[in-house]
Amino acid sequence: MEQVIANGLYLGAQYALIALGLTLIFALMNVLNFAHGQMYVLGGFVTYTIYGQLKLPFVLALICSGVTLAIVGALMEKFLFRTVIRRSKREESTMLLAAATAFFLDAIMLLLFGEKQRGVPKIISGVFVSDRVILPYDRIVVGVVAILMIAAFMLFMQYSKPGRAMRALAQDRVAAQLMGVKVERYSMIGFALGAMLAGVVGGLLVSITGVNSGIGGPISIKAFLMVMIGGAGVVGGAIAGGFILGMMESVGLATLREYGDITYLVIFALLMIFLSIRPHGLMGKPWG
Amino acid sequence: MGSEMINRRSTLKSLALGAVSLLAIAASGMSSAQAENKELKIGFVGVTSGPAAAWGTSNVRSMQTRADWLNEMGGVKIGDDTYNIEIVTFDDQKDPKRAIAGMEKMAQEGIHYVVGPNVDDGAAAVRPVAESKGIIYFPYAFPKALYTPPASNAVLGMVANYQSGPAIYKYLKENKGVKKVAFIAANESDPLSQRDSGVAAAKELGLEVVAEKDTYQNDTRDFTPVLTPIVQLKPDLLVLSGVAPANAPLLIRAARELGYEGLISAETAQDATVLQEGAGELANGFISVGGASTPEIRTPVMEEFIKRYTDKFGEYNDESNTKVYALEYIIETLKANPKAIDDVEEFKKTAETFSAPNPFAKDKTLKYVGTSSFGQKRQLSVPMVVTEFKDGEFKTLFVGEVD
Amino acid sequence: MRKSRTATLRIVSAILFLLALLVAVPLLISATGRSDLYYTLTSVALLSIISAGVWITFYIGRINIGQGAYALMGGYVSAILVMNYGVSFWLTLPLAGLFCAAASVLIGLPILRLRGVYFAMVTLVLTEVARLLALALPITNGASGIVSIPLPTGISLFGLTLVPGFATVANPRLAFYIVAVLLMALCFLGLYRLAHSRIGQLCQSLQQNEELASSIGVNIAYLRVIAYALSSFLGGVGGAMFASISQSIYPSSFTVADSVNFMLNCFLGGLGYVLGPMLGTFVLYFGWDLLFQTGEFQLLIFSTLLIVLMLVLPNGLLSLALPRKRSL
Repeated sequence: MEQVIANGLYLGAQYALIALGLTLIFALMNVLNFAHGQMYVLGGFVTYTIYGQLKLPFVLALICSGVTLAIVGALMEKFLFRTVIRRSKREESTMLLAAATAFFLDAIMLLLFGEKQRGVPKIISGVFVSDRVILPYDRIVVGVVAILMIAAFMLFMQYSKPGRAMRALAQDRVAAQLMGVKVERYSMIGFALGAMLAGVVGGLLVSITGVNSGIGGPISIKAFLMVMIGGAGVVGGAIAGGFILGMMESVGLATLREYGDITYLVIFALLMIFLSIRPHGLMGKPWG
Repeated sequence: MGSEMINRRSTLKSLALGAVSLLAIAASGMSSAQAENKELKIGFVGVTSGPAAAWGTSNVRSMQTRADWLNEMGGVKIGDDTYNIEIVTFDDQKDPKRAIAGMEKMAQEGIHYVVGPNVDDGAAAVRPVAESKGIIYFPYAFPKALYTPPASNAVLGMVANYQSGPAIYKYLKENKGVKKVAFIAANESDPLSQRDSGVAAAKELGLEVVAEKDTYQNDTRDFTPVLTPIVQLKPDLLVLSGVAPANAPLLIRAARELGYEGLISAETAQDATVLQEGAGELANGFISVGGASTPEIRTPVMEEFIKRYTDKFGEYNDESNTKVYALEYIIETLKANPKAIDDVEEFKKTAETFSAPNPFAKDKTLKYVGTSSFGQKRQLSVPMVVTEFKDGEFKTLFVGEVD
Repeated sequence: MRKSRTATLRIVSAILFLLALLVAVPLLISATGRSDLYYTLTSVALLSIISAGVWITFYIGRINIGQGAYALMGGYVSAILVMNYGVSFWLTLPLAGLFCAAASVLIGLPILRLRGVYFAMVTLVLTEVARLLALALPITNGASGIVSIPLPTGISLFGLTLVPGFATVANPRLAFYIVAVLLMALCFLGLYRLAHSRIGQLCQSLQQNEELASSIGVNIAYLRVIAYALSSFLGGVGGAMFASISQSIYPSSFTVADSVNFMLNCFLGGLGYVLGPMLGTFVLYFGWDLLFQTGEFQLLIFSTLLIVLMLVLPNGLLSLALPRKRSL
């Protein structure tokens, strides 16, 4: 059982980090970013190239993943989403744009990196073994880094100037604008930050799960699930959602295995029941 | 402001128009053919995009590599005519509805021989078209209904898991003392069907099956949770039924890191580079039905094929060891009976007796098999090479054959 | 006076369009020999019916990414009735629709309370639930799917053959094409009537402001469920037709990707126009097919064009032809 809980916590930490970026973008711009998973994959490929192929340090590779994705995110916001939000009569148009962007990134990555699963050498080898729990050291490192990053992100949002501006923006766009927040600038920073988070997690997890160009869509859907559980657009919700989903998967796969492939069926059914009771997730706000 | 916007909008529109017309020009330019030889079109309908892209891509690339090579040598002589081989591909995006459209397109192009589809649902969906339009197709899908009468237009392109599974389990039972087996599969049609037939085969051999219901979502990235309970059962053999090449290294790594010490095997073709990158030395000892070729049984032709493939696409894919065969069988069968070129009934007749030397594997012959599994010859005989992964390479464990 | 004239004009052009599809297209196809177009056009017609269902949910202000679930359900209902109970395909077609409508009432009652992205994401999950159910339930034959479904049998009344058995006709593809076009015509006629009826106007008021609509005495819960049931009915019918054409159905016959595509079809055509889903499906489907020539760059060019379209025509293709006619 201890092993199951350890698995769930580790999964939860990585899920929470994936969901953070998605929920940040949603909070700021009301955009459900279908391309989030693709951004994660792109981050993974950057790290793969720099750490796996060029044999440069892993930390440098992670930074490059973050920077690349921040640039990609900023460009996407400036040239695509901003334009469509301004012109479209319906907000939902951004969903189509996000989906098209997802296809676009998929296509680029398939062309650049091929269709194969890619992996990199382990960052730390060795396995921590006790009588009840077995955990490879690299998983421990990744889990701890993920939790540190979540903490850093929350501190940044809470205390830094851009962080406060973005929170104001998320609460009420018009009011924030009236109070002198530069809406366009912070939307762009927020989008870049969300994309950067996706890229860094992608890079971080390459060391454990590798990366392949087709995995973006499924990752996005998983991230949607977490955000839904916790409540869209709320940072705390994304973190809670990530850990809850991680734990449910871990416990479900261990306890329901006798009954065949129903773990995910149960998770999805529970989710639908939960949402019909709490239409805005655990802590989401009633908008959107 | 307003006029500026309109301006930009019209610029974008004309840009889009320009892009489309460029495309049209490019498309029409591509179809100019070489003059002297006749053209023989061979089709491919399968998946070359999305998460399963690797399956179809290895098909397409093997076909294109071999076709270019044959054309470079002056084409293929079938009957009195010499043909250049042209490969026509269609990406069905793993969607059976698209696969039907792809097969219709092949029929429209006058193509009678199509490689693919790669999955069960696609192979079942194209059957009505193939049978009504006179197309022989070579699926990489295992459902017996596709190959057993009254079905007659599908030819299985590889060794099915219900053929290789029993051979592998038997070998491991006799040589490695395997007694307890655990199965794990993705919760999708193909892997689940393969798991079920694997479980049946293991039970028939008198092995104890300790896990036969565990499944994972195909997009799982972390397999520790799903493997934790299985590893605790301490099986001697863990079978990864129908595992996708992308998932194999992740499963192996997760199992080993959880302290699993038994054997791991799979009945689908895997890629050595992917295994090496994804699991490193943890993948050592992994047993799979290597794509029909290992250095020990390769002919110089196969060596050159691999070299040409690598030159053309930058990197070889070991799945192509099996996938190189379909095109070769089509061409050789047509050579043996030129009438089959536009009459698949002739092809079916020839399939009964056809035999030719295997250019890719030493001391093997190309022939159609499948009588014991399907009651008719609707399977390509490719060497069933059971391999063991060791330090980035597949080593031959034993070579078998299907009848 | 002028109003009735435009109405007549509309009826005439609709009839002309239908005639073109039923007569001119088959003639053109037999003249050019492009018989593969029958299936692609049938696909487009059926996909646009399924997408029309999604359009209805957009009409009540809900983003529906779960239509694939109902298409799959419809396909299975029809296949099981035909295979296990020997019911005529033509009877299973409405039955599949009704089954889906009934299921959608049960599912819709709780989830239609959700809005915006929450509804969108729950419906997305619904598609996956349908696939997993199809794998797990005994009656669906699980992973091996249902294969070798017979072609539709004939209908005869008092010895008079109304519809010939599809296995006996010379070209079953043409037969399927005609059925699909007729179904599509029926569907969009119904959709047009719906959009211009009192219920349609009420739905539109839901789209703008549910609280307001509810405060003026509209029974919004009832309206939403009705609209969602209609939407799922169309999904079920479309799915049943596909199962019959491919003579097989698998848990993976309709997936999340399909659900997303149905939604994209509506967006692309224009959410404010009844014919939006039809045009959107047509363009997306053929756009993809045309780009087939570009080989490995297919997806890249396709997605680039989609993005460009979104930038240039964020309100759908029909906003180009019918500017500001009916702004929502």
